[in-house]
Amino acid sequence: MRGPATGAAAPARARRTRRPDAANAALAAWGVLVLVFLFLPIVFIVVQSFNAGRLLLIWDHFGTGAYRRALSDPAIRGAVGVSLRAAAGASAIATVLGTLAGVALARRAGRWVVPFLGILGLTLVTPEIVDAVSLLPWFVWLGTDANLSLFNNGLARLVVGHSLFATAVVVFIVRARVQGLEESLEEAAADLYATPWRRFLDVTVPLMAPAVLAGALMAFTLSLDNTIISAFVQVSGSTPWPVYVFSALRSSLRPEIAAVSTLMLLLTLVALGLVALVLRRSGESSRDIAGAMTGA
Amino acid sequence: MTQAVEQPPAHPAPAAPQPAPATARRALRLPGFTLAAPAWLWLIGFFLAPVSLVLWYSFGEKPGLFGTHSNEVLSLDRYGEALEADYLPTFVNTLRIAVLGTLICLVIAVPFAYWLAVKVDPRWRGVVLGLVMVPYWTNFLVRPLGWPVILSPEGWVSGLLQDVGLRDEPLAVLYTRGAVQLGVVYNYLALMILPIYVAFDRIDPALREASRDLGANRWRTFTRVSLPLAAPGVAAGLVLVFIPLMGDYVTATVLGGAKGTMAGQLVASQFQTAQNWALGSAMAVVLIVFIGVTVAFFAIAWTSVRAVVRARTRLVVPERAA
Repeated sequence: MRGPATGAAAPARARRTRRPDAANAALAAWGVLVLVFLFLPIVFIVVQSFNAGRLLLIWDHFGTGAYRRALSDPAIRGAVGVSLRAAAGASAIATVLGTLAGVALARRAGRWVVPFLGILGLTLVTPEIVDAVSLLPWFVWLGTDANLSLFNNGLARLVVGHSLFATAVVVFIVRARVQGLEESLEEAAADLYATPWRRFLDVTVPLMAPAVLAGALMAFTLSLDNTIISAFVQVSGSTPWPVYVFSALRSSLRPEIAAVSTLMLLLTLVALGLVALVLRRSGESSRDIAGAMTGA
Repeated sequence: MTQAVEQPPAHPAPAAPQPAPATARRALRLPGFTLAAPAWLWLIGFFLAPVSLVLWYSFGEKPGLFGTHSNEVLSLDRYGEALEADYLPTFVNTLRIAVLGTLICLVIAVPFAYWLAVKVDPRWRGVVLGLVMVPYWTNFLVRPLGWPVILSPEGWVSGLLQDVGLRDEPLAVLYTRGAVQLGVVYNYLALMILPIYVAFDRIDPALREASRDLGANRWRTFTRVSLPLAAPGVAAGLVLVFIPLMGDYVTATVLGGAKGTMAGQLVASQFQTAQNWALGSAMAVVLIVFIGVTVAFFAIAWTSVRAVVRARTRLVVPERAA
């Protein structure tokens, strides 16, 4: 009787004493430190956006002039507009192509999967700069030698360039979700005489919708973020926001850049919150969300 | 009543209607890759074809002052040029920043991910995870842009340090290799934390309890149970951070000025300013080879270390009479 009794008491005591001990405190302190590290530059950007001076790096005094100037500056408005339009286009293409391919991978796998996963993997591991330098001569060739004038359009180039990596990301997010779904639900629909099309629309699509949404948002932000491909494929008049900031680095950084960045940060937060809400309502755990976002 | 009405047709059904939908479905059945075909064609047309074109350019040369590339004469000379003393140090420098950056990310991320997956109250886990994601989702360029604000010699931190008396002169971190290192770690940290967090979170807590019950202390439980089980997540994080880091030159331009030159910058300038597409293409291929060789090297090192560790720590369970 002694043996089990001490055996039960030991873990209980261990659990009680584990709460406030040094190792846990150190871990928690580390966690907080990392979060501070992650937020420090963002906090400074937000603070600096209320700088009334002319230069971003030198604090003058408090004022909201940067916001007013940013919102009325045609170059900034144009750049943000180009970014949003390119992101919408790239996200739409990546979501449609990626969702279809993700469903095919999860439900109709065959020998074709190996080369297809190969090209998706290559897309994911190729550094962006290589995509960028490859797309520039390719678009020039398509636009002039192949006479496809669509590829002389800056926005079309941005949409195509941003959609590549994003498509591969959406494929993996959707595939993971569809693989986790019971195939018996679709079989039940088939047994109830639903046509393949109805089955897909009424059963598969609603069940995989959270993954499609996560993928679409991921593709959208990846495109908003994209600097390197954009810098190469853009044509004058279609400069997206990150490239505008990048070129501003060479001349002078003004508080307007911090102001627009703060506004875009707010936009991202709202979008993220919405997606988290949708995913939570569909019963997704935080691990699934994180896994979906990294394709893990 | 209703049962009685429905029952009769249900019984003979398996024999008769079953083959009917099957044949109908077979008539409609397209090959499995049909749905994937659009994505396939898209990636071949806008990824594989252009990258192959760059590979082809890399065997050519720059014809005269105004041309960008010519494949009249094929040679490997551009590769020799890319690896000459002018450019090779940049590749080595890039590799060093990338390897060091990836390892620093790993060291920061493992305790953090463990804390998040095991210690943080499950109700708060989603919130903390969101906090990790927010900086990652904000603009790629804005993230490193916050650091010049902090580190600039006229900035707040510099002023504070001088006021407190910790420094006599303005802070001189910006535009050094240290600043670039800091910037890349900051930029890619989330990509390391997320997969490791997912891996730790998937481990059944019962395994840790079993390890404790068998007398292992917490450090031993972590190194012998949790960490090995999270190894796939660690590997995913290493790849997710290392590859984009190797190609990144924006962070280095923001924080390193001219001193923080990365290989990506070399490639970009050959295409954008020098107009030497042949040399730029060769440099792009060299960059990919550097990445491939490094990943392969670490993969081999990883598997051999694991094999050695497994062989040395093999647990021999004494056989019992059945």
